[in-house]
Amino acid sequence: VEATYWDLFQQAVRRATEDAKMTVDEIDSVVYGIYNDIFEHQAIPESSLTGVIGMTNKPGTRVTSGGATGFYAMRTAIMEVASGESDCVLCIGGEKATDCYDPRSGTATPMVIDTIAKSWDPFFEYPLGATASDSYMQMCMGYDDSYPGDIGDPLVRAKIVEILCHAGNRNPYAQRRDETVTAEQVLASRWIIAPFLRLLEACMYTEGAGAVIFASEDKAREISERTGVPPIWVRGMGAANESYAAGRGGYYKPLNRIVSDRLAAERAYAAAGVKPSDIQLIELHDAFVAQLMITMGEIGFLPMGETRRLIDDDIICDTKQMADDERPGDGKLLINPSGGLIFGGHFVGGSNMFSMWSARREMVNRQMPLALVHGTGAINAVFGGAMVIELDEGGAQ
Amino acid sequence: MTPKNAPVLPLDFNIPKEVSEIKGRDGETYLQFATHMTTFYKQTYGEHSRFFLALRDAKLLGAKCPECGQVRVPAATWHCPACNFVEMKEVELPHRGVLAATAPITIFPSASFLGEAPFCRGYIDVALDAPAASYLPSRLRTTTGLPRPGIFVKGVELKLVFEDDRVGSIRDIFWVPVSEVPADLLDKEPLYASELYFETPAQPEVEASAEGEEALQAALAAMTKLATDAGKSARATQDLSNRTHRLGIHTSGGDFGIFVTDGSLRVEPGMPESPDFVMVTDDPGVFSAWVDDGSLTDAVVEGKLWLPHRAAFAVLPALDRLPRSIRRDLRDD
Repeated sequence: VEATYWDLFQQAVRRATEDAKMTVDEIDSVVYGIYNDIFEHQAIPESSLTGVIGMTNKPGTRVTSGGATGFYAMRTAIMEVASGESDCVLCIGGEKATDCYDPRSGTATPMVIDTIAKSWDPFFEYPLGATASDSYMQMCMGYDDSYPGDIGDPLVRAKIVEILCHAGNRNPYAQRRDETVTAEQVLASRWIIAPFLRLLEACMYTEGAGAVIFASEDKAREISERTGVPPIWVRGMGAANESYAAGRGGYYKPLNRIVSDRLAAERAYAAAGVKPSDIQLIELHDAFVAQLMITMGEIGFLPMGETRRLIDDDIICDTKQMADDERPGDGKLLINPSGGLIFGGHFVGGSNMFSMWSARREMVNRQMPLALVHGTGAINAVFGGAMVIELDEGGAQ
Repeated sequence: MTPKNAPVLPLDFNIPKEVSEIKGRDGETYLQFATHMTTFYKQTYGEHSRFFLALRDAKLLGAKCPECGQVRVPAATWHCPACNFVEMKEVELPHRGVLAATAPITIFPSASFLGEAPFCRGYIDVALDAPAASYLPSRLRTTTGLPRPGIFVKGVELKLVFEDDRVGSIRDIFWVPVSEVPADLLDKEPLYASELYFETPAQPEVEASAEGEEALQAALAAMTKLATDAGKSARATQDLSNRTHRLGIHTSGGDFGIFVTDGSLRVEPGMPESPDFVMVTDDPGVFSAWVDDGSLTDAVVEGKLWLPHRAAFAVLPALDRLPRSIRRDLRDD
C-alpha cells in the first residue's frame, strides 16, 4: 500500500550502496530478478526501474526463472563479473504480488494463487486446477511414499517452524519478525493441502526487494577497505533444471525426489572443492518446511529418509539459544538464520538475494568460513540452484 | 460441467472501475486504482490437437519412441528428446493405470477454480509396459463422496472415465479407483461418467457405542452454548445471515440436527426431517473440537467427517467462522 515496486527496488539499492559505502556511479551494469510481468502489471517492468535506481545508460539484463529467479539472477551477475565484462554488478530482484484482487472473495489471495498457477501449461496441467502449494506438496507426498515417517511427522515439521520463527525474530528485515509461532500453534493451524500442509508451514508470499553487489577481486578489496567489512567470495555455484514432465525413468521428473537440488549442490561443491561436512551455515529456499527437509537431504547434509534428525539429533541450531557472534558447535547446522522465506517473506525474484544477505551477515558476525545459498522454483520444484560462498581469509580469525 | 456458451471470463468476475482510498500501516492515506491485465486467447492446440481429437473420440493417445521405447502420455511431443528428435509413433493406451504418488487434495483453490474444492489431481502411470514413460496428470474422483486421505494413495489401481459430453479438454477425462467400478464395467472401454454413480454415494456405516453417546452429549452441550453465544455476537449473526440450512448428522452416539435460519443457529438431538444432506462421523468429538476454535473443514480434510457432495463442503466455511466470530465479539473485550 505504501510503495510501488519502483520504490521497493529503489529502497533496496539505497540500502545496498549505503552498506558498501559507494554510489551507483561505480556500478557498471545491472541484473534484474523479476519473475513475472503480471504481478508488476507491466510488460518489461525493468524498463521503468532503470532511471529510478540510477542505472541510466548502463547495460541491464532481466532474469526470470520462477521461484529460483533470485538465484539465477545472482548467477548471471556473477558470470558478468567473472567474464571480465563488468567490474561491479548490481543484482536486484523483487516482487509486488499483493496488489492482486479476487472479485469473488474480495481478497488478494485466490488471485495471487491463480497468477502463480499460470506457471503451468495451458493444455494439460493448468485446467486441472493445480496451485503452487499442490505442486510442492506433490513432491513431498511422493517423498513420503518412498521414505515414510520422515517428513511425515507433523511434530518434527512444527518444531523446525518454531526454530525458524526464533531466527526471524532477530532479523530486522524479516517481514514476520514480530510474530511468535510455537510448534503447538503450527499443529493447530488450518489445513491448506490435505493431509500434508498446514497454514503455518508455508512461506509467506509477499512483496519486497533485495539487492546484492558483486564485484571483481580488486574492486571487492577496494570496497572492503572502505567499509572495514571483509569481502565474501563466490567459491562455486551449480544449477540444474529437471524436465517439466513427471514420469518414470528416462529424463522424466521423479515425484519422490528433488533431483534439481541434488545436482545443483553437487556441482557447487565440485566447483568450490568442498563437501557438505565443511559447511555449517545454510540459507535454504524454504517454500514449505517439508520441502526444506527434503532439500537438506538432497544437498547432502543428511541421508534421504533421515532428515528428521535435524530435530531428533538436535542438529538444527536454535538462534534463540546462541549469542549473535557464536559459532555452531560440532555437528550442528545453522539453517536459515534469516528466518527463511517462511518468516522472512518470499518476494520471488528478491528472496534469494535476501538469503545471500543473511548468509553474509552471519559469516561476518560469527566468523564462519563457508556458507551455502540455495534457490528452488517452478512447478514440481524442477529448478534448482546452489552457491558456496567463502569469508575472506583476512576476516576469519 | 461448464454450461455451453458460457463466457471464458464469468460475468461476475469483475470489479467497478474506481480510484479508492486505503490506509497504510503508517496511518497515512494512499490511493489505489481498480484495473486488470486480461488477455483473451483462441489458443491453438497445434501438435497437441491429435491428442485432444482422440479424447473427443474417447481414446487415450501416447507418443512412443521407436528407438528407446519410452512413451509420452499425454502425447505432448512427437519427436523424442532423448533420441535426437526421432519421430515418435502414435499409440493407443489402455484405460487402466496406477497412481504414481499419493495425490494432494486441494482445499483452497485459485480464483479460477473457486467452488470446485475439494478436488484431487494426480499423476497416473499408464504406459506400464514401457521402459520409461511420462505420467498423465489428471483429475481423480471417487464415487463414495468427497476425496479424502487414504483413497488416492501411491499404487492404487485406477480406471479411466470419459465425460459423456467431451469438448477437447484435459477435463474430458478423470480416473476412479478400480475398486469402486462394478465388475461388469471394469473392462468396458470407453467407460462413461454416466455409467457410474456419483450423485448419491452410499452413506458410510458407523457402529453405535457408549463412548460415542458420551461424546455426543458433550458435543451437544458445547454446540448449544455456541448457538446461544452466536445470537449475542454481531459477527456470528452476520456469518449466518441470508442462509437457510437443515443439516442432519449421523454419529456413533446418535443423530442430531443443525438448523440455520437467517442469522440464527439451533442444534437439536434427533435426525431432522428431510435434511439438506447428512454428514457422518465415528467421533462426535469433532463437533466439540469445532466449537473449541477448531474447524469442520479440517475434520472433513482429515477424513473424520464424511460429506456426500461438494455443495455440502461449501456450507462449512460459514459454520467454521462462528467460534472465531464469537471469540472476537464476546471474549476478547
